[in-house]
Amino acid sequence: MMQTLHRKNIKMRVFLPFLFFILVVNLGYGSILLTKPEKPKQTKPAVLQVDTSTAVGVRHFNESALKDYRRQPEFNYNEEATDLSGWTRFWRQFWNWITHLFDFSSKRGLTIVGVIWKVIELLLIAGGLGALAFFIVKSMGLNVLNIFQRKPTTAPIPYSEFFEDINKIDFDVEIENAVSKHNYRFAVRLLYLKCLKQLSDSGLIAWQIDKTNNTYINELTNDEQRTAFKMLTRQFEYIWYGEFLIDAPIYKDIDLSFRNFNNRAA
Amino acid sequence: MEDELFEQRTDLSKLSAAVEQIKVTLGQIIVGQQDTIELLIAGILADGHLLIEGVPGVAKTLTAKLIAKAIDARYSRIQFTPDLMPSDVLGTSVFNPKTVDFEFKQGPIFGNIILVDEINRAPAKTQSALFEVMEERQVTIDGKTYKMDEPFIVLATQNPIEQEGTYRLPEAQLDRFLFKIEVKYPSLEEEIAILTQQHQQKTNEQLSHIQPVLSKDDIISLRALVRGFYVEPKILEFIAKIIFETRNNKSLYLGGSPRASLAIVNAAKALAAIRGRDFVTPDDIVWVAPAVLRHRIMLTPDKEMEGVSPDDVVKQIIQKIEVPR
Repeated sequence: MMQTLHRKNIKMRVFLPFLFFILVVNLGYGSILLTKPEKPKQTKPAVLQVDTSTAVGVRHFNESALKDYRRQPEFNYNEEATDLSGWTRFWRQFWNWITHLFDFSSKRGLTIVGVIWKVIELLLIAGGLGALAFFIVKSMGLNVLNIFQRKPTTAPIPYSEFFEDINKIDFDVEIENAVSKHNYRFAVRLLYLKCLKQLSDSGLIAWQIDKTNNTYINELTNDEQRTAFKMLTRQFEYIWYGEFLIDAPIYKDIDLSFRNFNNRAA
Repeated sequence: MEDELFEQRTDLSKLSAAVEQIKVTLGQIIVGQQDTIELLIAGILADGHLLIEGVPGVAKTLTAKLIAKAIDARYSRIQFTPDLMPSDVLGTSVFNPKTVDFEFKQGPIFGNIILVDEINRAPAKTQSALFEVMEERQVTIDGKTYKMDEPFIVLATQNPIEQEGTYRLPEAQLDRFLFKIEVKYPSLEEEIAILTQQHQQKTNEQLSHIQPVLSKDDIISLRALVRGFYVEPKILEFIAKIIFETRNNKSLYLGGSPRASLAIVNAAKALAAIRGRDFVTPDDIVWVAPAVLRHRIMLTPDKEMEGVSPDDVVKQIIQKIEVPR
């Protein structure tokens, strides 16, 4: 242990002076480099070069080469092509016509009279086109109002909408028919519809297909009338919507109550 | 007079009494909102889930809680928050060191009446967790299916989607709700009545006194009764025409599904029962149609920009169709 420490001590004694020597030599050399003076640069004076020659050598295109190029179709940029199709010629004519149509300048320049005539000409053409379009649409039987509307995204409703018009029913005949066939349920329905028609005719209710029975009850302003109509409505609902069985005596009672109501409402 | 003419085919006395009692009980605490209460009762009788929408502070949660209290059944409440996970709703398998096995721990969805408060505060991932349970009344976790107890009713409340921090419910989930009930602001008279009631501190006392009106079995039997009600074929055609028109209307991007048609039939039957009838009338259809359709149909962007509401479109559609008579 002691021997090892002694050996380490000897090594350190040799290494430290060597390190000191290297450090001193490097610092000295660095300081010499820093203090070394620079030599002044020698530059030549600038001289402006002037072109004093007067003779200009004009170069010419090779005419024969140009003729050769002209003969080649790849270098022919002229638009007058002779092999245009009929469709292309039509569109060219069309666009020429459109350009001419909206060209307000004349040979005598832009004058007020010229502009007015041009506007009249445009209006006449627009009117003519509109009349033509209208004639086409009418002849095809299309609805003009629906042309610009968005098409429905789905198929039309497949069920048949049959709106029963109570004004076109001959109630007395139909009721008689139903009673004769012992179809009392249907007869009560007709009695109720007849009652609604009478109320509608006398302006007590406003008949509409989407109105429910309760809506009509609420439309009646006379309390007594409303109470009576409410009861008739209940009878109709029990028989028509509730499929309650009905026979001749019950029908007779119901018919009587409807008659009484109609007589009072009339 | 009609009672003299027609004998009642169906005994609706128990149902009518229960409906009346619920209305009276709720009316003691909830001021106004008669239509909301009627729709809630109809929804329960029609075996449907109900979505209640309204701005904050219009007693959505209170109404839902009261309906839940009026029924003697297992009630649980889930507050939907943005960090809620599907397992927080449905339940999860937990390792039991004693048995050295995984055991399924039921989530709050396992109940009869589930109040999902502020359903649109949770993101679509959590909302989607309700798909299976709402439609099929079952939950499948780790390959095992758990059936829900009957009745199973989800009463959800939500703020309008324009409100801050809300997520729009997926269409598939919206379709699973029978009704979307919109709770409006009270009228001036109703507002005064609310203030008077709160000022006298009656509400809390009344809440503690609410007793269940219907049992689980009552609801199951009443539902079976309502399901058997008569619907005239012309009225079925009327419903079909309404739904068909929603699919062809230019103002709508998405129309009603066949589930919507069925929902209208079932809801109209329930409403007829509430009104003391065992058959459906066009008035029932017209009354329930907006609540059934308003969350199932989607307006086109231009109509939405114009400020047209789904209720406006439903009204226009009904106006086009002749009432069967």
